[in-house]
Amino acid sequence: MNRLAQDAVLAGLVRRLRDADSWGGETHIQKAAYLLRELRGVPFTFDFILYKHGPFSFELRDELMTMQSDRLIEREPQRPPYGPQLHVTERGRALERRMRGTMSRYGRDLDWVAGWLGDRGVADLERLATAMWMTRNSGGSAHQRAAQVTAVKPHIELADALAAVGEIDSLLEANVT
Amino acid sequence: MPVRLPHIAPSSATLRRVNKRVHEVRDPVHVFVHFDDDERAVIDSKPFQRLRNVHQLALTYLVYPGASHKRFEHSLGVMELAGRIYDTVTRDDKRSDAVRDVFPSPKDQGYWRTVVRTAALCHDLGHLPFSHAAEDELLPAGVDHERITWEILQTEMKSVFDDLVPPMKPELIGKLALGPRKAEKLGLQLEFDPWEAILAEIIVGDAFGADRMDYLLRDSLHTGATYGRFDHHRLIDTLRVMPSAPREEGDSETSTEPTLGCERGGLQSAEALLLARYFMFSQVYYHPTRLAYNEHLKDFLVAWLPERRFPADPAAHLSRDDNDVLRAIKLAARDAGAPGHTPARRIVDRDHFKVAYVRSPDGRDLVRHGASPSRGTAPDFPVFERDGTSVSALGLSDVFGKLPTSPDEYVLADSSIRGELEQWLKREREQILDAALAAQSEENDEQEEGNA
Repeated sequence: MNRLAQDAVLAGLVRRLRDADSWGGETHIQKAAYLLRELRGVPFTFDFILYKHGPFSFELRDELMTMQSDRLIEREPQRPPYGPQLHVTERGRALERRMRGTMSRYGRDLDWVAGWLGDRGVADLERLATAMWMTRNSGGSAHQRAAQVTAVKPHIELADALAAVGEIDSLLEANVT
Repeated sequence: MPVRLPHIAPSSATLRRVNKRVHEVRDPVHVFVHFDDDERAVIDSKPFQRLRNVHQLALTYLVYPGASHKRFEHSLGVMELAGRIYDTVTRDDKRSDAVRDVFPSPKDQGYWRTVVRTAALCHDLGHLPFSHAAEDELLPAGVDHERITWEILQTEMKSVFDDLVPPMKPELIGKLALGPRKAEKLGLQLEFDPWEAILAEIIVGDAFGADRMDYLLRDSLHTGATYGRFDHHRLIDTLRVMPSAPREEGDSETSTEPTLGCERGGLQSAEALLLARYFMFSQVYYHPTRLAYNEHLKDFLVAWLPERRFPADPAAHLSRDDNDVLRAIKLAARDAGAPGHTPARRIVDRDHFKVAYVRSPDGRDLVRHGASPSRGTAPDFPVFERDGTSVSALGLSDVFGKLPTSPDEYVLADSSIRGELEQWLKREREQILDAALAAQSEENDEQEEGNA
């Protein structure tokens, strides 16, 4: 995907997540984009690294910042103590409309991820994305992968990690791509 | 360095284990920089000494005469600040129950302090002559100064790290020196546990990294552009490890990872740091004349270097610094037949390009584009409230949300065609913009169809 097409998809992702009652902060976009790439093959060009709160891409962060500079999305500060939410501007909507081919190609993927994750909390997203990371990069049984999740993210309980690995396995078995 | 340091025999490992000596040098920013025998061994290494001859701000001294400082003293300063930050955030009174588990045991505190300071020392080892100038076009594809830093740490510095007490792993030093952003960029597949993520933030973090603090303070001092100053003493004193701020309603501290944040009393200092960066970008780092000199320097290097690029090999990299390039520029400027004569002469004679506003459709030898990167929005970080809760800085600060984020862009041109360019701009500006937009859309549509 070239940059404008990617920005249109990201704008579509932000908008759909917010429409699906997601808080829609940067963490939500990071995890949703990672899971979209891994589970649906959406060809984002970003590299991800296992970092804070699971898989994270500095390139994606930079692109979101650039989209703010280009007035495609806005960052809306929230009342303390909460982190900001992202919001698609009218200019961002215009970009989505302009990139008709791109949006029709990936629209179903975006609808799918928003339907899956829209009402999930950010802690859930962290567990799912980290479970996905371990599945892709480490392998092993469900219990082994869950143990790896808790090893790198000690604040995640083993039972929650196991549930997340199980959910990822179910999606992969169902061949959601 | 004004202080002559005592000689240490290489075989003194046993002695150092018992009692490491502390050395000090004067520094114009931090007054004194202190280091022990192990850190001195790193400082005395060939890769680190090379930084004495790499300008921190490339040819900026041709615009700001005082800006002739080098990567060497900057790297010492980053070590000093990283040590101060580490000492602050590991103080017992700074450890709340919510994050207590992330800290290493007391017996390992000294080891980790040396690790973070050593990584801070080494973070710039891979810089090309004249630092950042035109790096993308002067190295083989896929190589940048961070990649070279990584390679130097694994090769040239390995024996130095092996001889420290205790020895240090080059991979760990590299991981912290580069941080997660560069590790991702280099495709190193590194994983940062919560403690390592905090240590990397101490060095290269976007919000309070020692690298950023030192270069702003140091560049401000040497250029005389006082915009870069901020109250770093207050900022460092208010830093602490704390849970991330809630990312949404219902998100609790127990579900978040510890991170580096500041207490409420340091928020204005953090705002001042961000403002300092904003002003320094506009006034110094992307000053249009500096961009013009970067272009001339790049043109010279492309003409002068064998194969038109610097080598990526660590040993070859370490054999070259600014002194070699400056001598070559001087010689080439005198000899009309020498490779790179024209850009060398422009640098020596100060016949640099000037801002001309717009790109010309032809005449590449007389026109260049210069631009800053997008400045990006303010980083979010947690603020420690008096009641012990973590609060998003973006919700507290009016400053963070209001700084311009767009890049500065210039077209630079030879003086002989500036008038003609300005006339051309007046006539064609709207058509140029329309054509650029249309071309971009068509290009995208074609690509989309091609990919379908």
